[in-house]
Amino acid sequence: MKHRITYFLHDPSEFDISQIEVKSDALSVDSLDAAKEHRITLGLSELPPELRRALSECYELHLRWTRPTPYYHVSPLLSRSSSGMHLFYTPQLGSSQNFFCSAFKQIFGDDLKCINPATTFTNVSILSERFATGASQQYHTMLSSLAELITYLSHKVCKGRDYACIKQMQSLSSAAYLDIDYDTISHALTFTAFWDSAPSSHGWTDKHSQLGPTHQTEVGILNSETPTEPEELKLGGFLTVIGEDDHPSPTLFAFPSRHQPLPQSSELDYRTAFRDPTGLHPVLQLIFPSSQLESPGESCALHTYLTLPSYLFIDKYQLSDPLFLASQNLVALHSIAGETDLEAPDWIIKTWGSAALLELSTSISTSASADEELTVSIPLHLRYLSPSNATLGQIQVPVPWPIVFWACVADEGTKMNVNPFDRVNLGYDGLFGPRTMFYHVPTAPTKILVQHVRVPILNLDDAQYVEIGTVFAIALGSLWVLWKLLRVWTGGYHENVSKKTQ
Amino acid sequence: MPLLSSPRTVFTLALLLRLVLLLYGTLQDAFSPLKYTDIDYYVFTDAARFLAHGHSPYTRDTYRYTPLLAWLLYPTSWPGAFWFASGKVLFALCDVLAGWLIYAILRGGGGGSREGSGNGMDETRAIRFASLWLLNPMVAQISTRGSSEGLLCVNVVALLWAVLARRTRVAGVLLGLAVHLKIYPFIYGASILWYLDERTTSGDNSAGKEKKKKGQKTGPMTGVLTFCNRARIEFAIYAAATFLLLSGAMAALYGREFVQHTYLYHLTRIDHRHNFSPYNTLLHITSSASASASPTTHSKPPIRLESLAFIPQLLLSTLLIPLILAKRDLASTMLAQTFAFVTFNKVCTSQYFLWYLVFLPFYLPRSTLLARPRLGLSVAACWVAAQVWWLQQGYQLEFLGRSTFATGLWWSGIAFYFVNVWVLGIVVADIGRGGAVLTWKQKE
Repeated sequence: MKHRITYFLHDPSEFDISQIEVKSDALSVDSLDAAKEHRITLGLSELPPELRRALSECYELHLRWTRPTPYYHVSPLLSRSSSGMHLFYTPQLGSSQNFFCSAFKQIFGDDLKCINPATTFTNVSILSERFATGASQQYHTMLSSLAELITYLSHKVCKGRDYACIKQMQSLSSAAYLDIDYDTISHALTFTAFWDSAPSSHGWTDKHSQLGPTHQTEVGILNSETPTEPEELKLGGFLTVIGEDDHPSPTLFAFPSRHQPLPQSSELDYRTAFRDPTGLHPVLQLIFPSSQLESPGESCALHTYLTLPSYLFIDKYQLSDPLFLASQNLVALHSIAGETDLEAPDWIIKTWGSAALLELSTSISTSASADEELTVSIPLHLRYLSPSNATLGQIQVPVPWPIVFWACVADEGTKMNVNPFDRVNLGYDGLFGPRTMFYHVPTAPTKILVQHVRVPILNLDDAQYVEIGTVFAIALGSLWVLWKLLRVWTGGYHENVSKKTQ
Repeated sequence: MPLLSSPRTVFTLALLLRLVLLLYGTLQDAFSPLKYTDIDYYVFTDAARFLAHGHSPYTRDTYRYTPLLAWLLYPTSWPGAFWFASGKVLFALCDVLAGWLIYAILRGGGGGSREGSGNGMDETRAIRFASLWLLNPMVAQISTRGSSEGLLCVNVVALLWAVLARRTRVAGVLLGLAVHLKIYPFIYGASILWYLDERTTSGDNSAGKEKKKKGQKTGPMTGVLTFCNRARIEFAIYAAATFLLLSGAMAALYGREFVQHTYLYHLTRIDHRHNFSPYNTLLHITSSASASASPTTHSKPPIRLESLAFIPQLLLSTLLIPLILAKRDLASTMLAQTFAFVTFNKVCTSQYFLWYLVFLPFYLPRSTLLARPRLGLSVAACWVAAQVWWLQQGYQLEFLGRSTFATGLWWSGIAFYFVNVWVLGIVVADIGRGGAVLTWKQKE
């Protein structure tokens, strides 16, 4: 087991070295105002049996969970992912795939839509063959909290007794995101949790102990420095390996980063909305302040990556006409993967949904510049949802805010993977080449990064007469036509006609 | 309307109307994000493009037609706006040809009969009724937007023409082709088979009736033998052979995909999306109830009533209407069959209206709807009112997101169904009254 704990100071000027205390077997921090990343690397033998069994079916697995409420993005952890849980998965060749979903549901919640990976997961579209790290299958669910995972871990890992352990697990409830990574080559499972700030207003007061001779624990207290190269990020601060170092060792290092902030001068952000009325064809809008739409580089293009639950879908054929795309301020639909059936109702869809990458237009027409906002419209379509009782003929369904970024090409020879805080397998990164940099556009201030759309559904309480009514109508109509036919057959109309003509 | 009394004028106008719509459509497509071209046409042309690149046309999602259609539209895969529109030109020409066949049938000579040899109409009257199709803006719009229904309509009218002209082999081939293109024309098989008896073969009305009476007196074997006359056997063999040959060839070329998308899909589809069918809401409820295993939702009805829906539909359209009406007036019987098939179908969209519209010019001349204008106008008003009601409910659902499923949509769908049943009753009665308006005598 290995722990790597990194604090990213919010305000270095308020930091004092006395806030760190290093002992021979422990490190304590006191009231540290910082974001925190905690990475735990586990060997397979350290895992509960059902997890081992489920992982034996995986070739690689990358789980990315992001909370629905916005959080503060700190350098170098600048990547973004839409809220909910994303899974990127490559099955082990020849394995049965029988245990994955049951273990997954046991850990994250019984009501998740997961039959088995072959049925529920969708294939990732491969646009860039050169990008070797991409998983082959994808899954997403609107999981808004990790409560089930915390219960599972408290029970399985802490055995329900170890109070310190339970407390540590419960700290996950305030995490901004959680990554879980596994691959057969390293045979290790990595948990990475991130908190944008301490749950209490007094900052972090933690004690990290050396857990045993085979367990390494490294603690870093870092802050972001101004980089010298445009593609790089720079960090300075202190690193300590508990049990090895008797004092924090100062450090300063720089590395190229795949994920980048917008230039400091930029005030670009975006918000989302559904155009009213939504009907069965809701239009998702991304709204930008048009004056801020300035590209961070020459090779850059503005993109959005959408994750759509199964009840919403994109019609790729509708998004193929350049005139139509331009009228929506779109450039192109570069990729669509997952459930794209244009007709099926939601109740027969077995996959989780679909993911799409769209390029956005940043050219501001003269008429739009007047209202100072650029609205990009993404036409979506709703599937029919199951009829139900006890609704007033409509329900609200959630869709996570898509993420928006400028994708730019980095210089030849840039090695992104030397970044110790690199984050890959986010869905969209696999759709670009390995030398792509993502300048993430922040979201406008909002309470929650989930948009709801109203879906009309058939209210069964209103429909009690439908079955009997339809049968009655069909019977009545059939009998009427039969009666007319009978009269023809018996010559009834001929007599009528001859009587009249007489 | 002296303007519409000359066939030359009407056909020129019909062609001109389609040409204008084609040009207008090309312009709208080029300059507006809202397309004139029908979504289906993009499906056909995408499929043709896949074909041109050596792929299966079924590579295109929602292509549910015979590969023959994609082959027919092969030129649309060539570059340029003209070639792209060539399929629409074909569809438009097809529906003008359908109009010409309607006119020819109404004239009663297949275009070449001697004056007075049949019950044909005079030129002016015939062209006026044919104008119902030829100058119908809905028809012209549907074909110029690129819907393939025009192709089917010319096929079906040609089938009628061939039967009336006693070209039973040609008729068989046309029926086989029509069923291959779209399944529903199989219903015409029944009425044509029944129609092709000795009476219509000999062209003598009274003799036919006597023979029929004689046939009843003799044993059942003789009855079967009399029924299996040469025309019927030829027609059946040519129809079956054409259908099997075409479908067999397509199955050999495209395998499971062809069978699945062209035929099985139509048998297994759920048809849950709102449409004009009276069954629509019921199907919506039952399909979701049977899909969800959860016991808390709607309890499944003991018998799946909707699976019995084919009984009234097929009983009327393939058995009773042909048997009782076909020998009186084949063209109007085919109208009644189509009307019954569409009215009692589990799914119904506005393109289906074209299927019976093509037969309207044969029926209307002797219908009470024209003889009694007040009745005709009431029927038309009710039909339009029910449509408007349904469309308004559909709009509320589709665009405003209001749940009109079980309330407005169901009621308006049922109302529309009853209007259709009413019309069907009138058509049946009219055929019963009218008799053999379009039975041609054999040329001497």
